[in-house]
Amino acid sequence: MNAGQKKYEYSVNEVPPLAHLLLSGFQHVLIMVVAIGIPVIFAGQMNETPQFTATLVTFSMLASGIGSIIQALRLPYLGSGYLCPNLCGPSYISLTLSAAWIGGLPLMRGITIVAGVVEMLLAPVVQKLKSVFPIYVVGLVVAMVGISIISISITSFFGLTLQGDAIRSIDILIGAVSLLIMVFCNLWGKGFVKIYCLIIGIFLGWILALILNPEYWINLVMVKNTPLFALPQFNTIFKPITLHLNLLIPLIVIAVGSTLKTFGNLLAAQKFSEPELDKVNYIPIRNGIVADGIATALSGLLGAMAVDTSSSNIGLAGATKVLSRWISVVAGAIFIVLAFFPMLTNALALIPKPVLGASLIFVGCFMICAGLEQMLSEHWDSCKTFVIGIAIIFGLSTSFLPPLYARSPKIIQTFFTDPLPTTTILAVILNQIFGLDKSYKKIRDKFKTQKIFATNTENGGK
Amino acid sequence: MNEMPIIRLYRIIAFSAFFAVLSIFISGCESRYEDLDLSVYQYRDTKDLVKFVYDASLVLKKNGLKGLQYFRDNRHLYVTPNHYLYIYDMNGVNIYHAGMPHLEGKNLWDLTDKSGKKPAQMAIAALEDRNNPHAWVHYSWWEPGKFYPVPKSSCHFKVRTPEGTLLMVGGGLNYPLEEKEFIRIIVDDAAQLIKEKGDSALSEISDPVSQYNFRDVKVFVFTPAGKLLVSPVMGDSLTDLKLLDCVDEMGHKPFQKALLELRNDKDSVWEVFLAKNRYQRILVKKSLYLRKTYIAGQEIYVGAITDLPQPPG
Repeated sequence: MNAGQKKYEYSVNEVPPLAHLLLSGFQHVLIMVVAIGIPVIFAGQMNETPQFTATLVTFSMLASGIGSIIQALRLPYLGSGYLCPNLCGPSYISLTLSAAWIGGLPLMRGITIVAGVVEMLLAPVVQKLKSVFPIYVVGLVVAMVGISIISISITSFFGLTLQGDAIRSIDILIGAVSLLIMVFCNLWGKGFVKIYCLIIGIFLGWILALILNPEYWINLVMVKNTPLFALPQFNTIFKPITLHLNLLIPLIVIAVGSTLKTFGNLLAAQKFSEPELDKVNYIPIRNGIVADGIATALSGLLGAMAVDTSSSNIGLAGATKVLSRWISVVAGAIFIVLAFFPMLTNALALIPKPVLGASLIFVGCFMICAGLEQMLSEHWDSCKTFVIGIAIIFGLSTSFLPPLYARSPKIIQTFFTDPLPTTTILAVILNQIFGLDKSYKKIRDKFKTQKIFATNTENGGK
Repeated sequence: MNEMPIIRLYRIIAFSAFFAVLSIFISGCESRYEDLDLSVYQYRDTKDLVKFVYDASLVLKKNGLKGLQYFRDNRHLYVTPNHYLYIYDMNGVNIYHAGMPHLEGKNLWDLTDKSGKKPAQMAIAALEDRNNPHAWVHYSWWEPGKFYPVPKSSCHFKVRTPEGTLLMVGGGLNYPLEEKEFIRIIVDDAAQLIKEKGDSALSEISDPVSQYNFRDVKVFVFTPAGKLLVSPVMGDSLTDLKLLDCVDEMGHKPFQKALLELRNDKDSVWEVFLAKNRYQRILVKKSLYLRKTYIAGQEIYVGAITDLPQPPG
């Protein structure tokens, strides 16, 4: 079979040769390091010490690494068995920050553990969702997972660190060149070049950035002041855990949103890993949500930031057609090892933002198009047009018009938070409402059939 | 087949050489801004402006008054949509103005902005302020051909030319983003003033045209019991504001927490809280800076609040 026609380079259960396993794992780690910035931002906003920041980063990496491994291993009732690594997601950052302000680390740990437990409790419900998630809504969710990374990918592509700050032309050039390298390697490359298009793009883009912008040199030089190896302060694990009732309602809303996001990510992972499935297999998805809940609760126990499944890594798997779940295990293991080597972690965290932005755009393309393809693969009708159209319009509006939602009634504010959960909830509800006539017809036909059957039986009986 | 190990060896040598060259470059990399502490700033805009003004000051320091001709001949290099360069003598006479050449030769010592602030006087005073290494001042200005006020934050460097002339080189950001350093400077200055002048400093601090008040930022002063000497909100003593009990949008008590930290042998503290954004009414993170000082032997606190830089997106 021609390489261009291959369905996979490595399928979900295939174990690639060691060198490929390590290199592919490292390629995923390069995407995962984007999230190291989240605990750093968090600690900065808490005015915490560098030691606290280092410990938070280490524990968050440990939780992400362990989460990535259990997600892929496919243990009984635990883990989807897909290439779907974990990282510190932005979903919980606002709530975690509020908890940390009000009750410090004990409350932050408490709410993170509860969030994980809520997610685990929601997992069995997912199996009951077969009727509310037809294929075209699943496609929409997958596309929205890709759309949800637009904001972070574009701001990174333009090299922006803070809202409203200056944008440099040189950063746009670096981002554009990196993106083109990744795309060309993927389009025209074969074998090694095609599989490792992201690594190639990142490293060539990084070298270009070092040549063009002295700031990146200076930042890299600073890394030599970081210790090569360091152990975190394990004593935080034994500190108390508290809860605050006032935070429970927002916590549950965010946990539901996060579960939906994980659900979308796992659907996307399934779509890439098992495209031959003609309907969704909810068992690995349920097990995947349980694994994600455990990883979130574990991050709370460790005193780390809450972790979440990574949309970007699923996009990368789809882009490279390297879907082996063992790569997730290796990426998790590399992340755990890196957690104890701050110098290496810091160096990787210094990959220029435009290069990271380019890599996120690259993987986002695959997420969005895979979702659209799935969505439009079914026979289309006016009902679907309205379900999808209304859900997308209102879902995206949460991102376009946050001040509008800030002034809206409380109930709207609670559910219209972010494009992915808003679109998903609306699509599910509208699909039920607009499909009422079909449901009615189905019930009526069923009733008629039963009636005919009963009449025939009666006549036959006579 | 025997060629394979040789090819591998060549690859290893090529990669090693590449990384060796890379590490030499990294370790040998130096910046001309090493004397300039930019680590206190968070925004690129601010860092870029300080570097821009610093570079111009180096031109004057090296070439003296001949440098002025260079600036006039290359005016386009010193005007951007965000900022421009200007040079004053120490009496407030404008010698060079990249954005508004018609001001050159005029004495702007008494020029006032829309709220009555005197930018030239403030800038020259800031050059002597040890708490303010880059002589930041905040005021409003205007853009040529436009009629509405433009908020500005400007930094300055004092230069003695080889001819012995003292000059002030400066540049201002249009529509600046608030840096934590800006409020650190005014709070530390206010604390210093109170230490030196006692009670009489309070009226100067609460004066709306003083350096202690700009845009939405206002320096306030209170006692350990929470009694206000200069209020962060209303200027009227009839307002009964219990600072220590005040909560943010999440129910967090930033003042109470900050004071607890200040009692642990700290002189100053930063505290983060959530408040509504002025225009969009969405929640934004704000930063409170408090410094401990004394009036007649009694401990008091001086503080100010600013927007915290928000992540993009």
